[in-house]
Amino acid sequence: MPVVTIFSGTFCRKEAVAEKLIQRTGYRRVTDEMVIRRAADLSDWDEKKLHAAFAVKPSVFNKFTYEKERSMAWIRLAVAELLAEEGLLIDGFSGQVIPKEVSHVLRVCLIADLQPRIRRAMETRGLSEKAARQHIHEDDEQRAAWVNTLHNMRDPWAPGLYDIVAPPDKMEIDPIVDLVEENLRSEDIQPTDASKRAAADFVLSARVGEALAKEGHNVEVIARDGAVTLKINQNVLMLGRLQEELKEITEKVEGVKSVEARIGKGFHRADIYRKYDFEMPKLLLVDDEREFVQTLSERLLMRDVGSAVAYDGESALSLIDEEEPEVMILDLKMPGIDGIEVLRKVKQSRPEIEVIILTGHGSEEDRKLCMELGAFAYLQKPVDIDVLSETLKKANEKMKQNKTARF
Amino acid sequence: MGNKKELILETATILFAEHGFNETSVAHLANLTQSAEGTIFYHFKNKNDLFLAILENVKKGILDEFSGYMGQGRFENGLQMMEGVIGFFLFLAGKKEQWFRLLQRHYPYEFARSSEDCRAHLEAIYNTLVDLFEEAIRRGQHDCSIRSLPERKTALLLFSMVNGLIWFKFHDLYEPATLYDELLAACKRMLAPDG
Repeated sequence: MPVVTIFSGTFCRKEAVAEKLIQRTGYRRVTDEMVIRRAADLSDWDEKKLHAAFAVKPSVFNKFTYEKERSMAWIRLAVAELLAEEGLLIDGFSGQVIPKEVSHVLRVCLIADLQPRIRRAMETRGLSEKAARQHIHEDDEQRAAWVNTLHNMRDPWAPGLYDIVAPPDKMEIDPIVDLVEENLRSEDIQPTDASKRAAADFVLSARVGEALAKEGHNVEVIARDGAVTLKINQNVLMLGRLQEELKEITEKVEGVKSVEARIGKGFHRADIYRKYDFEMPKLLLVDDEREFVQTLSERLLMRDVGSAVAYDGESALSLIDEEEPEVMILDLKMPGIDGIEVLRKVKQSRPEIEVIILTGHGSEEDRKLCMELGAFAYLQKPVDIDVLSETLKKANEKMKQNKTARF
Repeated sequence: MGNKKELILETATILFAEHGFNETSVAHLANLTQSAEGTIFYHFKNKNDLFLAILENVKKGILDEFSGYMGQGRFENGLQMMEGVIGFFLFLAGKKEQWFRLLQRHYPYEFARSSEDCRAHLEAIYNTLVDLFEEAIRRGQHDCSIRSLPERKTALLLFSMVNGLIWFKFHDLYEPATLYDELLAACKRMLAPDG
């Protein structure tokens, strides 16, 4: 029999749906509290500490203790071992830890619109509207954080995560339960050899995760038919040492046939990596198309490039004196002083500033003239953000050389 | 010319160790070594390249010093080896202060995040040191001068304790000499067999 998981927003009538479903199917209900109790038995940690796994913000000590991640390892193991049983209704946060490869799980999500939930909270809990709204907001935040930790998705109700997303404000309880029952009979979610293997892999990876968590390690574990891959997602200088230790612990876990420990995506923390790889210039954007320039500025900000903006030649020239930019991105066609004139003036008074021309209507003669006047590059709109970033990076390096040469 | 390159390396090690990477100007280095900036950039492509050469030099230096010491050392057992290693580590940190000051700066670790060479040098340096701690514990467990404990973790803990003393010294937090005897006693208490 397939397993059912239910994840829901608060005030979305989950209790009623779960109860009705159990009545009709005879499934056994497993709540987060039960999972935590099992995890507590496995880990010798107290339940309160394990509950921290569901918290939005980990404790300030988490950086040293990884309590949250270790709690998750035990919760995962508790759920993985439970899956050996049939006819389970896993209700709450815990169901989310089951990997999608375990396909004999019917994943149900209940989520209503905000207004009906607020009304329900006011009726059932006697809260004011403001308090109800606040309450729901906090609950949603907690769910979003949990889903984000596990699936790296911001939206906890994203349809891709579930087989059924039912709106309890628009549907009655019975039709929802009908829908679940109907889907339970579907061919797609019946246990198969592959899905059973995936469940066994899940158990093994959870066991390895637990063994590592016990020793204070926090790495990603992937298991496939006894072959275990460990991914190190924290930058660790003494990497060889860590790999050896991880392997040694993992090899001892029953059912492990081989171990490989390698660097994961998070090893070079992308943000820091980028910052040092590419020290960002002070950038001035000059373009009379306001919308374009603002969008560009925002997109560059996402890549850690802060920029000042000018909408015409005159203000560009006065900004150059005030802000001392290092690199400019300049459009050619502007009212008043045009781009070519700005380029000429900049290169006369501040030759160390590198200028990238970015234009929508330039001719070959324009290109030639700009390069002769000392432009660093000549790009056509629309420009690929990666190409622009790369050009900026090179312009920045050049500008740095200019600066060193001057001192 | 070979001597010039060495002079540049040595001087730069001291400058980087004393003032940090960003605060050290190539002009100043050129001035102190009486060489043209061009000469510096002839030997080292850029400032980062120079830094890597320094780090490699420090790595080689630490390796050589320790293998020299271990080569002559006659330790009766693992616990004595541990005492010897700790003692020599602190001695070397005094003798080659610039190496260890450089290693206590933030820049090498920042740079290691984007430079594979830099991280390889740093890893090798720390491995050399921690490996010796670990070796001493293994040996001691074998000859029963050290009791059974997780050697890898214990080696790292002891290392960070000793390294912490060097930190104390370089940042004028406290005089580590006053702690030396107690450090060895604590180490013994940590490692010696029960009873």
